[in-house]
Amino acid sequence: MLSDPYTDKSTRDSTSIQIDGQALKDLVEASLVWLRTNQQLVNSLNVFPVPDGDTGTNMVLTMQAAFAEIENSSERNFGRMVHSLAHGALMGARGNSGVILSQLWRGFARALDNVEYLDGRGFVQALASARDTAYKGVVRPVEGTILTVAKDAAAAGEHALAETSDLVELLDRVVQAADVSVQHTPQLLPVLKEAGVVDSGGKGFYFILEGMLRHIRGQTLDVPQAIVQSLSTMNLENVMEAIEPGQDYEVVIDFRPYEPLDLGSFYTTLEEMGTSIQVGEGDGMYRMHIHVPTEKRYEPIDYTMTLGTITKVAMENLVAQMEERETPCGGNGQIVPAVIQPGQIAVVAVSPGNGISRVFSSLGAAAIVEGGQTMNPSTQEIIGAFENLPTDQVIILPNNKNIILAAKTAAELTVKKVAVIPSRSVPQGLAAMLRLIPDGDLDSVVEDMIAALDEVQTCEITIATRDVEIDGVEVQEGQVIGLYNGKLVLSETSLENACLGILQHAGADEYELITLFYGSNLPRQDALRIADLVREAYPGLEIEIQEGCQPHYYFIISIE
Amino acid sequence: MSAENTPLGSIHVSPKAIATIAYHATLESYGVVGLSSKNLVDGWAQAVVKDPTHGVHVDYDGHDINIDLYVIIEYGTRIASVASSVSNTVRYHVEKALGMPVNKINVHVQGLRVSNYD
Repeated sequence: MLSDPYTDKSTRDSTSIQIDGQALKDLVEASLVWLRTNQQLVNSLNVFPVPDGDTGTNMVLTMQAAFAEIENSSERNFGRMVHSLAHGALMGARGNSGVILSQLWRGFARALDNVEYLDGRGFVQALASARDTAYKGVVRPVEGTILTVAKDAAAAGEHALAETSDLVELLDRVVQAADVSVQHTPQLLPVLKEAGVVDSGGKGFYFILEGMLRHIRGQTLDVPQAIVQSLSTMNLENVMEAIEPGQDYEVVIDFRPYEPLDLGSFYTTLEEMGTSIQVGEGDGMYRMHIHVPTEKRYEPIDYTMTLGTITKVAMENLVAQMEERETPCGGNGQIVPAVIQPGQIAVVAVSPGNGISRVFSSLGAAAIVEGGQTMNPSTQEIIGAFENLPTDQVIILPNNKNIILAAKTAAELTVKKVAVIPSRSVPQGLAAMLRLIPDGDLDSVVEDMIAALDEVQTCEITIATRDVEIDGVEVQEGQVIGLYNGKLVLSETSLENACLGILQHAGADEYELITLFYGSNLPRQDALRIADLVREAYPGLEIEIQEGCQPHYYFIISIE
Repeated sequence: MSAENTPLGSIHVSPKAIATIAYHATLESYGVVGLSSKNLVDGWAQAVVKDPTHGVHVDYDGHDINIDLYVIIEYGTRIASVASSVSNTVRYHVEKALGMPVNKINVHVQGLRVSNYD
């Protein structure tokens, strides 16, 4: 735990608390630790896919720079200390939220010029000054962001000052108001409401304030708020991440410390050994998870031995595990596209997975571009796929509604005669593919292919990455969801129910053939088992099962 | 003129329309307190006509869209961070509205505004 000057004194009699420069250091460290603990939560709230990193990470880095500025200072004057802090925040401001945060600290510091100790009144004035400074930094403040949360927090402080001047009480009110304000952000900013999230920057700011309050109250700072990891849920399997160099071994240790764990120094020591550190707590027991390089694989165990009694150690060689997993889906063999003679029509198909690529190639596609829902190929990649084909008549099958535009742009940027069939899914693309006559007239082949698009129905089964409500369907994170022709129609707790449900929704018994393409995230046995269930449910139909290898989607289902 | 062909005909978007999107996105970016012109003569002329694309220059050469932004930033913010987030915000909004990639966004910091002395 962080050094805590308050718990020894009576927390009730908090008017006696005097926050000087050194106490500020502890408060800021608490903020930083609490923000870092909840960093992934804040990151997960990001709405704009802007490539400037994640809000949570940016705010942590900004706070880290601010804290680094005062970490080794022995200054006792509060005003001077908070000025250094603001300076550190300014120098280290990262990303949009980081810049706003640095302005908040700057305004906060300005109101407390040369103040010896921070008291309740000073705190409220500083919050107001922080708000004013932050609002001055932008022409058109967008409400429903960190700015709004700062405004509401400051207003709550001013309001509460009429009743109390107790710093802890005021901080408590401010934290509560910030919480309410964060929950309210979707009402102010439509883009948040659409995505079903609260504002990430606002939430981060809330964690900074709450971290201080938790520290004063002596509450833990190491257990994430929303994702509370209890020992029972913290499985070895679900902490499997991408492996970076120097993360050869995963070590998980369960232990019972001899005395209350000093998490600050525990983390610091672990950080010297490895990465991906996670600590779970439950009933006096701790579980520690870390990735370490090969030569350090025993160090976490030796270190933990000095702190407490180890009850269990699990060690896994991640590199070997990754190699096992890296056998490519869809087999090792090369996918061989069809060979095109000069003057023939060449088809370029965009495919989300190896198995599907194989099917397109077998139907005569001359080139395959990898891409799908989460990895749209660029215009350049599409052009690259057909530029060197020995023909100037080309048809592009985008097979995803998000790729149609890139395909059309590609068609414009080349001297070849290129037509784009607006296929919005893999089944539509395959249906069109069946109409290809390589030696035919381009215009009439295109017409045929476009007509074929409507002859097939597409169902997709995937997993929800967050809570959302769309078109009246309520979805919770982790549920299996079904899309029918691109539209969300159902959410289920099991894959089986989702598959059968979506087929029923699509009125599958009116059709003749169901083809199930199973994704890279689904073992073959499971796929075959579900195919059997479908066969039982639709005995009159022909059911085909194919390895699709697409990511994220358990199944892409074609009904025709 | 950015163009897109659809089965119903083609859609043309003028650089001025793109500039308007960029202008509004810029003003919503944190740390930017105003847009300024490339040079003084321009500034005077545009102040008179109240151009909603003031301080934004869009260049489309038939291949690439390039945008130049001439901004004034709040004194006391980290200029590099503000500039990169302006660039990201503008890129996001323009690409979302247009459905075409933006090649380059150049942010020219023309001045700082001091609203508070520390």
